[in-house]
Amino acid sequence: MSCRTAAPQNFFTQDGTKTSVLRLFRNRFLTGLCIALSLLTLVPLFSIIMLVVKNGFPLVSVALFTQLPPPPGLEEGGFANAIVGTFIMVGIAIVLAVPLGILGAIYINEYAPTSRLSAAVRFVAKLLTGIPSIICGVFAFAAVVMTMGCFSAFAGGVALSILILPTILLTAEQALMGVPYAYREASFGLGATPFQTIFRIVLPDALPAIMTGVMLSVARAAGETAPVLFTALFSANWIQSLTEPTASLSVLIYNFAALPFDYHVKMAWSASLVLVALVTLTNILAQIFFAPKHR
Amino acid sequence: MRTADTPTSQNSLSEHCLELTDDFTSGEVNFIKVEDFKFFYGKKQALHGINLEIPSRKVTAFIGPSGCGKSTLLRNFNRMNELIPGVRHEGDISIHGTSIYDPSVEIIALRRRIGMVFQKSNPFPMSIYENIVYPLRIAGQKDRSVLDETVERCLRSAALWDEAKDRLHESALGLSGGQMQRLCIARAVASRPEILLMDEPCSALDPIATAKVEELITELKKDFTIIIVTHNMQQASRVSELTAFFYLGNLVEFDSTHKIFTNPAQKQTEDYITGRFG
Amino acid sequence: MYKEPAKPHTLTNFTTALDQLRSSVLRMSSLAQLNLKNSIKGLMERDDDWCNNCIADDEEIDLLEMQIDHEGIEVMSRFHPFASDLREVISSIKIGANIERVADQAVNIARRARKLNEQPPLTELHLLDNPIRLSLQMFDDAVRAFAERNASLAVELKARDKELDRMNKELADVLVNRMQDDSVNLPTYLNLIFISRCLERIGDHACNVAEDVVFAVNAEDIRHLAK
Repeated sequence: MSCRTAAPQNFFTQDGTKTSVLRLFRNRFLTGLCIALSLLTLVPLFSIIMLVVKNGFPLVSVALFTQLPPPPGLEEGGFANAIVGTFIMVGIAIVLAVPLGILGAIYINEYAPTSRLSAAVRFVAKLLTGIPSIICGVFAFAAVVMTMGCFSAFAGGVALSILILPTILLTAEQALMGVPYAYREASFGLGATPFQTIFRIVLPDALPAIMTGVMLSVARAAGETAPVLFTALFSANWIQSLTEPTASLSVLIYNFAALPFDYHVKMAWSASLVLVALVTLTNILAQIFFAPKHR
Repeated sequence: MRTADTPTSQNSLSEHCLELTDDFTSGEVNFIKVEDFKFFYGKKQALHGINLEIPSRKVTAFIGPSGCGKSTLLRNFNRMNELIPGVRHEGDISIHGTSIYDPSVEIIALRRRIGMVFQKSNPFPMSIYENIVYPLRIAGQKDRSVLDETVERCLRSAALWDEAKDRLHESALGLSGGQMQRLCIARAVASRPEILLMDEPCSALDPIATAKVEELITELKKDFTIIIVTHNMQQASRVSELTAFFYLGNLVEFDSTHKIFTNPAQKQTEDYITGRFG
Repeated sequence: MYKEPAKPHTLTNFTTALDQLRSSVLRMSSLAQLNLKNSIKGLMERDDDWCNNCIADDEEIDLLEMQIDHEGIEVMSRFHPFASDLREVISSIKIGANIERVADQAVNIARRARKLNEQPPLTELHLLDNPIRLSLQMFDDAVRAFAERNASLAVELKARDKELDRMNKELADVLVNRMQDDSVNLPTYLNLIFISRCLERIGDHACNVAEDVVFAVNAEDIRHLAK
């Protein structure tokens, strides 16, 4: 606007001042609206965090991370076993899903990008991302719990791995697609085999993006209740083997929040806080360690 | 102007070569031989019966409008086109008298003996050192002294040693555009190929970087047979000894660069190089 | 063989610049033709005015020669001509230089003519008729060959140049003999020999122009060929 006063009037306002003012007003209005709406999306996020912190923080203590859950009625103890259980099940899910997802992505993107098998895998993976998590739990229940005859951390890990596999596969495929074709061309041009090209050039370049996808899906898996509820059940004791019912943070929240004991409800809030903190931490770590290197 | 009914004969071509250099006896007249070569992308025919004999240790330029098949032919010399699904060829290309399509020819070994430099410089996202030793590493070379020696030799032959010797272990992506392209040339000669294919190597470079690459080409032709695809006719006339003009998948004219740029035999060549096309 | 002018360049400015260069050469050559005719007129009609005209107008031709060089360099540096365009530019510059020399010879003839005009007329002047006719015709044909891009017309000129050389030699012999018989008019005979020599030079330059035309049109170098 300063330039409007500085410059000859008719130079910048060729079709009349009136239109210009109207246009200016409309432009500002819409910009303001966009800012307001984007602020609005932050409201639910912040209210969740504030609520969880407000209700969960008072109970945070060392005991919470080192002791077992108290029996109903008692007011001391923690949920160390649930934290360990969550880590173990997520670990199993990673061990199962990450190699499978990355190798699958390599196949469908590098070896046979146009084959029917690849198209089928891609389609199924997309379908699976949309499947409710409880279905994964039911499946793992039928496939692992029923056949092994017991609820177990392993079954929970399987359920979670099914949940995260399609996400890992698809993000890994995207990451591989993001590697410039020029790198592959250069490598082939120098006489490299496809295997050498993929493992020396393509994969190292795509790794940050792949790992970001892995971390994000892991963070999500850590918070899932439904698949674990059906498969790992819950336990008030330390985990002894992978073939027995195991506690997890999400199921602990689910169970304790419904109990009529004030202390247990407070523990559920604290567990929520710990879970949110873990997920946030994972995300932040993913951002720090696997931030895409600028080219 | 010579009229279209006096085709360029192979004889007059070899005479031109003989005239041009004294050390011609050290090279081969038909080092690379293309015989009735046809190439198809799916149903689309990109090359129509090309016949061409490229002498060794010379710079041969391929010129022609976009889509004329010059890059396609270039990419067939090291069978890079086979990375594209749905391609097929007829006819034959032989190097040193051996068909590159012979079943005994390993495509990996072929590409190792034919270096390639691309239009857009494409160093790997690793250190300068690792970029150059990559061809050796994939061939299983682990001897540190061999790797070190190769890095120095290649950087020197690409006229990049002085600029890069103090930053060998820094990322290659920190180099300037011209330096990156010269790094790619250094990498391309690391496995000691005999032929160097260059697909518009200077199209993304500023004039000074272009001049450095051209100077390098003139240096390298002592040891390599160089084939360069270029859209820049001044460049073709500056760096090459032989020029082939392609149009619509046909080889229109192949002769000494001097002849092509002062008195081409074909009307199409004349129209193209004088800028009277279309 | 008459050649169609080539179709225009994709760059209109390139075509315009080449056309401009060409029209400069044509303008220069017609000025030189006029000057040459003026000097001959001054010589044959013993009229100093024509001679003075010729000498005065030479300046414009010199300027045109520089302009042609300038335009040729301009085309080279801006458009980097290749093949027929390259040959055309190079030939134009060389033809410009040759025409300038023809014009200089016209000035020489005019100067000699003014000297002759101070002396009593001699019938030997008409010994020059044939060399004059031939050299004027040769120069006209050279210019026409350039204008029409007519290489075969240009090739013919070489044979005619031989004829002109022969005439010049004969004339010199005749005039040297006359000098011995008629030493009073010795300066006149000398001037006539000089004029004949100028005409012979004009024939040479016409030949050079023709050679450049052949180079531009056929990309053949026909200079210094034993015939």
